[in-house]
Amino acid sequence: MKTYLLRFGILAIVTASILNCSPNTDDISAPSDKNLELYKAVLTNIGTNVITETLKDFSLKTTALKVASDNLVIGNNASLTALKNAWLDARVPWEKSESFAFGPVLTDGAIGVIDVAVDSWPVNTTSINLILSSSATINTALLNTNNEARGFHTIEYLAWGISGTKTANDLSARDILYLKATCADLAFRALNLYNNWLATQDNYVANLINAGQSNNTIYTTQKSAFIELIDATSGTADEVANSKIENALNGGAGGTANPNLDESQYSQSSKLDLANNLQGIQNIYLGDYNGLDGKGLTDIIKIRKPDLDATVKSKISEAINAINAISGTFATAIFNDRLAVANAQAKVLEVQALLDGDVKDLLSNL
Amino acid sequence: MKKIPLLLVAFLTITSCSKNNDDEVYEDLPNLTERQLAGGGTTIFSDNSNAFSTVAPNASGSDFTNHAFGDAQFEQSFVTAPATVNGGLGNIFNNTSCVSCHIKDGRSAFPSNITNLSGLLLRGSIAGFGLNGSPNPIPGFGTQIQNQAVFGSVPEARYQVSFTTINETLADGTVISLRKPIFTLVDSYIALPSNILLSPRIATPVFGLGLLEAISEADILSKQDINDLDNDGISGKANYVWDPVLGQTKLGRFGWKANSSSVLVQCAGAYVEDMGVTNYVFPNETGFNQSNGQDGLNDDPEISNGILDAVALYCKTLAVPASRSATNIDVRRGAKIFEEISCVKCHSPKQQSSYNAIASISNQIFYPYTDLLLHDMGADLADNRPDYLATGTEWKTRPLWGIGLTQIVNGHTHFLHDGRARNITEAILWHGGEAQNSKEKFKQLSTQKRNELLAFINSL
Repeated sequence: MKTYLLRFGILAIVTASILNCSPNTDDISAPSDKNLELYKAVLTNIGTNVITETLKDFSLKTTALKVASDNLVIGNNASLTALKNAWLDARVPWEKSESFAFGPVLTDGAIGVIDVAVDSWPVNTTSINLILSSSATINTALLNTNNEARGFHTIEYLAWGISGTKTANDLSARDILYLKATCADLAFRALNLYNNWLATQDNYVANLINAGQSNNTIYTTQKSAFIELIDATSGTADEVANSKIENALNGGAGGTANPNLDESQYSQSSKLDLANNLQGIQNIYLGDYNGLDGKGLTDIIKIRKPDLDATVKSKISEAINAINAISGTFATAIFNDRLAVANAQAKVLEVQALLDGDVKDLLSNL
Repeated sequence: MKKIPLLLVAFLTITSCSKNNDDEVYEDLPNLTERQLAGGGTTIFSDNSNAFSTVAPNASGSDFTNHAFGDAQFEQSFVTAPATVNGGLGNIFNNTSCVSCHIKDGRSAFPSNITNLSGLLLRGSIAGFGLNGSPNPIPGFGTQIQNQAVFGSVPEARYQVSFTTINETLADGTVISLRKPIFTLVDSYIALPSNILLSPRIATPVFGLGLLEAISEADILSKQDINDLDNDGISGKANYVWDPVLGQTKLGRFGWKANSSSVLVQCAGAYVEDMGVTNYVFPNETGFNQSNGQDGLNDDPEISNGILDAVALYCKTLAVPASRSATNIDVRRGAKIFEEISCVKCHSPKQQSSYNAIASISNQIFYPYTDLLLHDMGADLADNRPDYLATGTEWKTRPLWGIGLTQIVNGHTHFLHDGRARNITEAILWHGGEAQNSKEKFKQLSTQKRNELLAFINSL
């Protein structure tokens, strides 16, 4: 790193000196300016068309989940199915957003820390059951002091039940009150998070777009913004491989499976979580979202090291395919298809090693 | 091969058009190059939101592995026992995980809502001393007020806060309006005695703690000047506190009043007092013998010894972020002002660790900007609550390393023990007592010099 700084310093001196006293600067400064334009285009697209759009989806899908909770009727299986589907839909953009879990989602801002209110795990089933059997008003004030009894996994527990087999006939009036309150709370926080990033609202996205500008107090260089993105994506791969998969696959006694450590165990949807985590990494890398092609990290890497770029792309795809190739649910596969789960874990670790290694090195030396 | 022509070009280019302006006015400025390695061999070059969250690059294989395990534990949320995963929360507590207060291993903001879960808590006591010279517990409440409880239990009390305002006017006419929070307790589960002493504490960054623990006692004590024999208005006093692991009184190093002797004791105390999670150092619930504090389960300790040890190791082996802009002229001028107005007398830049069993923190030169000593900081900042040898006006000098990264890591710039300061300028203006002279000199700085000082502090 010191070597790098030295080299960068010399380059800066050379550039500055040349700009200061050379009458003909076009040939030398032009490629640099073009690079800066490309970097800005990449950061702008990732910030605007990947991150902000993912959070827009998160807000829209959690609003749909809130509507589904408002429509719940005891004994009406269609209404419960609609809620479950809305929960699964809302999970998709959230899990994708974990590949850029920095900034407002982890800031103790005006409404507290969003991440822990949205996705706290494990859920406090004892508290949830006591709340249900009490006469306490289930409102924001109660949820604000019970992070482990609010958010995605509390909704999941209430909708699917501990065995995953809950039907609309099993719903109680208190279940519905609880679901309405916590779905509304989730939608409120999702909208807040979206607005935190949205250019026309709190505009956190400007920190990425304008990285390196003198008034930017977050990213003083574009490189710093790129490293933020790469740390976030490699951090997600790390969490998927070394935490989400490892804990469930090998977290039992003597390195056996432990289904209690399967994150989305009530809905049996952890495989989707894992795939969407990797999809989120892919979105940042490619700069693509919802079928729209945009500039991503790939557009920088492929110029400098096309082979590395090709490897990263194929490794991310291989990891997603390996997760999807796990048979049955994640909860059954950790017992019955362990090799496939271990293979997916290995593939995700390969992605992590690439992002945290060669890709980060290259972006550190722009 | 590529470096040689590059250096040659650099040399030719510079010599061909340099006007040597630097020679005209010579400024004797501190060389900050060495100080970039703020954590010695544990330093990382990071200026993004993970700047406090990375393992020390020189961590050895087994420490690296245990660090990763501790990292995972640091993030675990606890729930009501019994539970299949992470049971043991409460019954009374302040928050549910380490990371909920030390977000991104960093600093808590002043709470957006004092009633909710946050990174601020209140310590409490009554006059006099408890066991081994500790603060005297409030009967029925102990020495920390847990303002949360698992559903079905009652918190010890709820917190309330109001503010008063103090205005400070700087030499250039800028008026800074300071907010002073005043905390009170409401809805206590039993009647509170009168005249309780409360002290707010906000969660601090947890990186670099191994290095601070490895400074030799002799080095720390050498900076003491309890009776101000050098007559500079600054004393400096070590705290001595009870170490429940060693079973003896030891030099205090951690916490806002240096009221904790080791990272292990600090972590163990946080588990039991902040989360209600019993452990081998503190096997009794924080609400032991209280009507609201017992879970009725024979499940103590609620975390394994390995988890507590790993979390302590995790904090000891987190990398320290390098300082930035060491060659920037404003930053260097700011460093000089930092010396001239005597900030350095307490915020001692350089420290050295002695031998330590953790190789990565052993025998390192590093730059925390603290003397780890207690100083009288004046009436306005006082909590008026003694803590072992620390009086009600004394606080331990906070390390400044990483302070300029608070915005990017934690999204705020709230400082001091209760998060009252909303930026570094406000934090400086709260300095009183032994730091009163420095504060007055700060107020007299020109706008440019003030900005240079802030540029330096923000480079750390």
